[in-house]
Amino acid sequence: MFDAISTLSLLTLVLGLGLGYAALRYKVEGNPLVDQIDAILPQTQCGQCDFPGCRPYAEAMAKGEAEINQCPPGGQEGVDALAELLNIDTMPLNEEHGEPEPKRIAVVDENVCIGCTLCIQACPVDAFVGSSKVMTTVIADECTGCDLCIPVCPVDCIEMVEVKSTFRNYVPDIAELEHV
Amino acid sequence: MSNFAFKGGLKLENPYPTNEIDLIRIPLPKKVVLPMQQRIGEQAKPIVSVGEHVLTGQIIATIDDDLCAPVHASISGTVVAIDEHVHAHKSGLKGLCVTIESDGKDNWVDTSIGCTEQYELCTPETIYNKIRVSGIVGMGGAGFPTHTKVRLAEGCHTLIVNATECEPGITCDASLMLAYPTKVIRGAEVLLHVTGAERAIIAIEDDKPEAITLLKKYCKNDRIIIEEIPTKYTSGSEKILVKSLLGIEIPSGKFASDVDVLCLNVGTVVAIFDAVVENRPLISRAVTVAGTAVKVPKNLQVRLGASYDYLLGFTDYQTGRHKVTMAGMMMGIELQGTDYSVSKNTNCIFVDIDEKNSTEVVKECIRCGICNTVCPVGLLPQQLYWYSKAKNIEKALEYNLVDCIECGCCSYVCPSRLPLIDYYQFSKALHRQQVKDKVQTDKARNRFEFREMRLERNKRERTEMMEAKKRELKEKMAKDKTQKNIIEEAVKRVSSSKVNNKVEDEQ
Repeated sequence: MFDAISTLSLLTLVLGLGLGYAALRYKVEGNPLVDQIDAILPQTQCGQCDFPGCRPYAEAMAKGEAEINQCPPGGQEGVDALAELLNIDTMPLNEEHGEPEPKRIAVVDENVCIGCTLCIQACPVDAFVGSSKVMTTVIADECTGCDLCIPVCPVDCIEMVEVKSTFRNYVPDIAELEHV
Repeated sequence: MSNFAFKGGLKLENPYPTNEIDLIRIPLPKKVVLPMQQRIGEQAKPIVSVGEHVLTGQIIATIDDDLCAPVHASISGTVVAIDEHVHAHKSGLKGLCVTIESDGKDNWVDTSIGCTEQYELCTPETIYNKIRVSGIVGMGGAGFPTHTKVRLAEGCHTLIVNATECEPGITCDASLMLAYPTKVIRGAEVLLHVTGAERAIIAIEDDKPEAITLLKKYCKNDRIIIEEIPTKYTSGSEKILVKSLLGIEIPSGKFASDVDVLCLNVGTVVAIFDAVVENRPLISRAVTVAGTAVKVPKNLQVRLGASYDYLLGFTDYQTGRHKVTMAGMMMGIELQGTDYSVSKNTNCIFVDIDEKNSTEVVKECIRCGICNTVCPVGLLPQQLYWYSKAKNIEKALEYNLVDCIECGCCSYVCPSRLPLIDYYQFSKALHRQQVKDKVQTDKARNRFEFREMRLERNKRERTEMMEAKKRELKEKMAKDKTQKNIIEEAVKRVSSSKVNNKVEDEQ
C-alpha cells in the first residue's frame, strides 16, 4: 500500500517537474500559425485586406476573425494555399477587396516632386529615399507595388508602372501548349 | 573508357547531308545590328552614341559583370541607331541593339597591346583579361562568358576541346577545323598554359574523318590527344562528354570545373587563339546555313550582327513560306521570319519550306515510357511532364528537373508529339521566378517589420522624452517655489526688521 503510494507520488513529482521545465525551456513565443500564414501572404503590405499590413491580417486569420479570401495580390493561388494550410474549403477571391493585377512599381516624376515627404511616411517598406524639400525617388528593388503612396502625393507625381518582362525573367506560357 | 558510350541519346540522320563543308568567307555586310543582351548576365550598356564613327574591333558596349562580355564593333563605320529590335529568343521580346552602317573600309582599332606569340611569358591573369576584353563567350550556343569559365577551371587536370558538333545538320565546327587546324591546336596550347592542365583532349565525332586526319597531321604536341568518339546525339553535352571521355560523373548541380575539367567548344578555342595570339577580338563566327529552302548547305564565316537575309543571299535561297529555326532541329528555337542578326551564339540557321498544315496534332501522354529510355541524363521525362503541367514545381525538382539539359530527345521520340522541352523550360523559369519572389517577399517582410519596430520605438522615445521634460519642468517649478519661499521669507524678514528698526527709531 505504502509502496504504491510513494512510487506514484514520486513519479508524479518527477514527471511534473519535467513537464514544468519543458514548458519553460521550449516555450513558443507567439502563435506559430501566424508565421505559417504570413509566409504564404505576398508581403505587399498594401492593406487591401482592411488590415494594416500582411502580418496583422495573418494574426486576424489565425484568430478566425478574417476570411482567407481578402488578399488580391496573392490571387486565387494564395487563397488555395491558405485553405490547404488551414485545412478548410477554398473559396473564390473576394472582389470587394480588389482584383489581382500584374506586378507594378512606383516611379516618381522627379521634375514634379516638391519634396513633401508624405510618400516616405506612407510607404510600408521604406522604399522611398528623400528628405524635405528635396527630390524623392523609389528604390525599385524594394517597392512592393502597394499603391499606398499614390493618394498621399499632393502633386500626383507618382505613377505605378508595370514591371516589364525581360529576357532574364521571362516565363513561357504553357496555356499555349494545351491540347486535346 | 575505350568505347566512349553513354546511356540514352539518339542516333540521328543528318537532315541536310552534304559533302562540301568548306568555310566560305563572305564580304563585309553593309549594316550590322549588334544586340546588347547576350545569353545570360546583365544587358551591356552602350558606350558609343548615335553619329559616332567606330573602328572594327572597338568596344562599343560593356558592363561590369562576370556573366557578361563586352560587345565590339564588327565593322568600321557610323553608329546610326541605338534602339530596340526583336532578339532571336523564345520570348520574342525586344532588346537594345546598336546599329552600325559600314564605311566599306574595315579600318581596325589598334589592338597591338597583348601577349602575341610570347603568350607563355604572360601571367594567367593577363590572359583571362585578354579573353574578357575580347568579348569571348561559348560559341557552341550556350554563350557563357569564357573568361569566367576559364578562371573557374584554374588548376584543372584536363582540357576537353568539344568538337563533336552539337546537333545533326550543323557543320560549322567541322568547317572551322578544316579551315584552321593549326588555330585549334595552338588555341589548345594557349589554354594548357593558362590552366596548367596536364593534357588536352580534342573530341571529334567519327562522322568527320577529314577533320580528324587533318588535326592529327598538324598536332605535334604530345599533351594534346585527338579522340574519335561515336556519332550519337547529345555526346557533345558537357557533362556527358566528360563522363564518356574520362569516366568522371559530374554530380547534380555541379559543373565540369567542380571536377577539375575545362570543356570548351572548338569555336571558342579558335576565338581564344585569335584573341591571345593575334590580338583580334571576337567579331565574326562560322554559321551553318541549311534547310530545304537553301538546297545546298553552306558554312559562312560572317561578321557578327549581319542579318540572316544577308547570309541567305549567299545561298540558293528560295523565297516562299518558311519555317526558320536557329541553333538546330533538336534544341533550336523557331523564329518568326528572317529579320534577325547573327549573334555570338548563332551556330546555324535552318530555313525549311513550310508545307501548309505541317503542324502535327499533339495528343495526350499515353505513358508509353519511350522517353525514359532515351534521356541521356537518366531522368524520367514522363513524370517531369506531368508535374510541369500541373505546375507542381516542388515535385518536378524532386525528380531532378534542374539536371535536364533540354536536349529534346524525349520530344523527338514522343508518339504523342508532346512539346516536352517547352514544359520543362516553363517549369525551370517558374522555379527561378518563385525563388526570386521568395527573396523579394522576405525582404519586404523584414523591411515592414523593421519599420513597425522603428515607428514603435520612435513613439516610445517620444513619450519618454515628453515625460522626462514634464518631470524636469515639475522639478524646476518645485525648485522655483522653494527659491520663491526663501525670497519671500527674506523679504518678510527685511520688512519686519525694517518695521522693528522703525519702531526702534521712533522709540
